[in-house]
Amino acid sequence: MSEIVLSATNLSKHFVGKQSLIGKLRGKEPLSVPAVDGVDLSMPAGSTIGLVGESGCGKSTLGRTLVGLYPSSGGSLSLFDRQIGNDRSLEERRAVQMIFQDPYSSLNPRMKVGDMLEEILLFHKLADKESVQKRCIELMELVGLPITALQAYPRQFSGGQRQRIGIARALALEPKILIADEAVSALDVSVQASIVNLLLDLKRDLGLTMLFISHNIAIVRQVSDRIAVMYLGRIVEEGLTSEVFNNPQHPYTKLLLGSVPKMTPGSKLGAAPQGELPTIQARYEGCRFQSRCPIATSACATTDPALIQIGSKDHQAACINL
Amino acid sequence: MSTPLLSVRDLSVEIDTSRGLLKAIRGVSLDVNAGDSLGIVGESGSGKSITLKAIMGLLPKNARVTSGEIHVDGVDLATLSEKARRTLLSEKIGIVFQDAIAALNPVMRVGAQIAETPHRRLGWTKEKSHARAVELMELVGIPEAEKRFALYPHQLSGGLRQRVAIAIALSGSPQLIFCDEPTTALDVTIQAQVLRLLMELRVKERTGLVFVTHDLAVVNEICDEIRVMYAGRFVESGGVANTFQRPSHPYTYSLLKSAPDVDHQSERLFSISGETADLTKPVMGCPFAPRCFAATQLCSESEPALLPISSSYSACHHAANFTEKIPVGHFAQGSQGKARS
Repeated sequence: MSEIVLSATNLSKHFVGKQSLIGKLRGKEPLSVPAVDGVDLSMPAGSTIGLVGESGCGKSTLGRTLVGLYPSSGGSLSLFDRQIGNDRSLEERRAVQMIFQDPYSSLNPRMKVGDMLEEILLFHKLADKESVQKRCIELMELVGLPITALQAYPRQFSGGQRQRIGIARALALEPKILIADEAVSALDVSVQASIVNLLLDLKRDLGLTMLFISHNIAIVRQVSDRIAVMYLGRIVEEGLTSEVFNNPQHPYTKLLLGSVPKMTPGSKLGAAPQGELPTIQARYEGCRFQSRCPIATSACATTDPALIQIGSKDHQAACINL
Repeated sequence: MSTPLLSVRDLSVEIDTSRGLLKAIRGVSLDVNAGDSLGIVGESGSGKSITLKAIMGLLPKNARVTSGEIHVDGVDLATLSEKARRTLLSEKIGIVFQDAIAALNPVMRVGAQIAETPHRRLGWTKEKSHARAVELMELVGIPEAEKRFALYPHQLSGGLRQRVAIAIALSGSPQLIFCDEPTTALDVTIQAQVLRLLMELRVKERTGLVFVTHDLAVVNEICDEIRVMYAGRFVESGGVANTFQRPSHPYTYSLLKSAPDVDHQSERLFSISGETADLTKPVMGCPFAPRCFAATQLCSESEPALLPISSSYSACHHAANFTEKIPVGHFAQGSQGKARS
């Protein structure tokens, strides 16, 4: 078993709503939305974990909490076996970097690409005045952009090229872990493929560990060694990619995989799941999936299922009816 | 053979942009019959949505049709007055857009929006239109339709909103439905429900479907016929099953190879290097040539026409033998080093 680089234990992130003065005087509890609610996740060194789920299930919030963009509201996180809190050191922040869905809104529109990279490198003391130029050129080569790109503004690039700049920005900090949040979702199919290939090459060449968050299950299957399926703030199934795809256990995973359109000739869509994704609530009685579940029993209304091992395989699911 | 529901011949559209005149569609022809299901695929900017908008007369102000004929149910649209044209289109064709919240009126109850066409256009009584709206809401799978009739769009989830948009498209009992990326903004489980609904309509009511999407897997699931669009033209046209197995254009081949499939895991994804053609400049030769692995001198000199090859049509000079030129190790291209995307 390889070393675990980043692990979350019972991690949660609750967003607390604003409270009116009258509400405060009456002693009412403010509205709390548990976007991530008790997640256990371990990332083995060098692996790519695909995180899938429908919109609103909390996958982006989980990614942002792991990077440290959101302070966690409960549970613990450890990086290389060291506990990290909500106040991270510069070194801890460098180790976990993020690639965003829309690189345009995450880049400063009035700063040339080269100036942006220089600022990051100098601030983090990863290069000095003499070596900074050389490092910027290296980064451009790494992500497959011409050196002239350093002298251009973000708006002068196409979507795929901007995503390469976003990747260069993340790599400038020499991270150990990359969190890619819908990194290719906004791109055309042909461009999407080249960015996915780039990420996989970089991961291999630089020995990175990656969390690949996407609602596109076909892409996740391509890139991931392991898959985690999220539903309403919880991970309901996790395991080796081949295991989860060939032998899904949780009824939600089965519905999700059955709904994905396929490229196989003559394929017909599987049974459509019933109902809509419910909105996230402050408190749950029993299993979160019971309202849409085809195999729910009366016990599901009272028991909150925990992730359990499936057979002897590297595969776990959270359902009491397995 | 009976007259097709929709027949488009040599349609061209130009758009005035800040960078100059853009030839968005360059001579597109298509026929759709009752019960047909046609998928139009291509990358962003290839002209798929503009084609639908041009047929419906919904082009933005800076765009205009420069040539072409459109026949709906045998009637030439050019011979009709503006009013008659609109009436005919709204009777025969319903349209569903990608973004349901933008397509719905935010200050009108959803039921009233669905009842509007039967009431105003077909001249039905209020009661009858109301009953029809509830019936349509049930048909598209909106639970508790009677109760939801009085809600506003913002009170519904994304999946329900898209179903309201479909119910509106169906409210005039059209024979043909245009879908412009109707499921792109939806989650996969909701997408599956909407696709299933469209397939049912096609079987039950013999409604024709024209489906614009960039998702090849969706086309594989619900369409019989496919048109692949590149730089404002169809470059391949044929049956879905046949085209997916034996594409006869290098662009189609590359698109199919670059799309990940949930059923298979491959080492690397195929990627197409380079960018789509700039349509503000005159097209010299085949617009795909700069990105094509099979391009020759001929390709940069003359633009190929859409010609029959075995059971489909392809606009490629090397349609018969491009597969021989698929480079070994092409998969490594476009990932690192010299790649540009």
